[in-house]
Amino acid sequence: MDPVLLLQMLAAAIIAVIVYTAIGVAPGTDETAVLAPVTLALVVAGIPLPVVLAFFMAAIVAKKLTDSIPVSVAGIPGGVMSAPMVEHALILKREGHATLAIRKMASGSVIGTLVAIPISLFLAFLLTPLADVLGQYASQIFFGGAVFLALMSKEKVISLISIVLLAALIQGLRHLYWGMGVIPEGQTVFISFFLGITIGPMMFNLAQLTVNSERHKMAESEPKQIQIYGNDEKGQLPNPFRILTRQETVSAAASSVLGSVTFFMSPVGITIFLGEVMSSWVKGTVNKASRALSSMDAVTNASYIAGILIPLAALGIPMSPMAIGPGNAFFNAPPVLTLEQNAHHLMSFSEITIASILGAGVALLITYPIAVRYARRICIFVFKHIPHEAFLAMFFSLVMLLAYMDAGVMGILGVMVLALMAGLLNRWGVNYGVQFMTLYAAPWLLGLIA
Amino acid sequence: MSEKKNRFLNVWDDSVSGRDLLLSLCISTPLTLGGYLLAPAQPPLPLILGLSGAILGFFINALLFRPKRQLQTGEEK
Repeated sequence: MDPVLLLQMLAAAIIAVIVYTAIGVAPGTDETAVLAPVTLALVVAGIPLPVVLAFFMAAIVAKKLTDSIPVSVAGIPGGVMSAPMVEHALILKREGHATLAIRKMASGSVIGTLVAIPISLFLAFLLTPLADVLGQYASQIFFGGAVFLALMSKEKVISLISIVLLAALIQGLRHLYWGMGVIPEGQTVFISFFLGITIGPMMFNLAQLTVNSERHKMAESEPKQIQIYGNDEKGQLPNPFRILTRQETVSAAASSVLGSVTFFMSPVGITIFLGEVMSSWVKGTVNKASRALSSMDAVTNASYIAGILIPLAALGIPMSPMAIGPGNAFFNAPPVLTLEQNAHHLMSFSEITIASILGAGVALLITYPIAVRYARRICIFVFKHIPHEAFLAMFFSLVMLLAYMDAGVMGILGVMVLALMAGLLNRWGVNYGVQFMTLYAAPWLLGLIA
Repeated sequence: MSEKKNRFLNVWDDSVSGRDLLLSLCISTPLTLGGYLLAPAQPPLPLILGLSGAILGFFINALLFRPKRQLQTGEEK
């Protein structure tokens, strides 16, 4: 591989680690919302794909390592994926072991990453022959995926109904753009719709602020309270294999394998399920919580890495919640990448392998020791100095920019309309997976109904 | 009536003040879109300037406004 490209990959990974270490700590930051727009912007800007992949892998590993920090020190999730871990982390915190929680979780992350990369590449190797067959039935697979995820979710009825409704809205907007001559007939708008779904929940929240009765419900006389107790680690460099007991290492590794194999399922669901199973036969509250936390953090990492690597290396269509959400830009970022000609087709297996290992490796080497040692100080810094308004405004303006690039002022309008609907559905329990799968299946589905 | 007492709004799982949120949106969005529109029309310059606008906006907002959440710190027992 070209040394200049390798250097660029290294630089991209380091930038990703710095940025996403900070974002990971911020409360409420959703993986899809914070990763998808940035990845998309990088791909559309024409940055070489291996560089973007190194950036992306470093970003997820760093973010996964650091979003456990607020969970363990303050009991608030740093992202959607860490929400299931709060309960167990609070047990450790209550017992006075807040720093133990972060050590167990971060070490679980390391195991998850180390196991998932080789397993995913091996699975990708096995699944490659399927790619051509799957590619022919992409629309049907996405529709099937939407139905499957809807049936697996808590709110099955509204999830199933919303597949048809969202598809109608998406195709309606596309025909509106064609009819008005904003977009040449036949050219399909994708990016702005994708972003509309991505920031739906945030947009819905912002829109609520303009409604008097809703705003009163969101008003608080006291700001959010966050308590941080505990001391920082001292001493030599942390070693994940020493922090975890032998049994914890084994169950974290086993969970990672299962998390990788189930790459096409919802990572949150798998995380909760495996966390409960792995800790069910452990006695003692502290031990039980430690086992659950290390295994759960390992699964989230593994299902994320497998969810992006397997579709990328083997299939060429985004067939997992991870690939269709945060990593979507690798599969479909018109005009640079399309479903027929994307990162799967343009990158060789060895490029994918090198970029992933480099990105994940840089993130582990930098973020793991920092997370274990300075968890408390990082939290205090972000909570004290970075206002939530700055995050909200940054993502809002990023989405506006990308929507404008996609379809001008009409693109911005389209994003707003779709975001309101997607945000409402999200609040009612229709998860991102269902919505993204619908976005892909929409032309086929409405063609069928019409 | 309760407008005075309830100075904080819970948006996306954290406390913000309505005024600061509005101001930060008014700082970030023009910087981002302005960077894109005013850049020389030679790809990928518009996108790069747009993204720089977003990052610049983030730092300006971070310096200008104080986080509303309240932090209590202490030693582990």
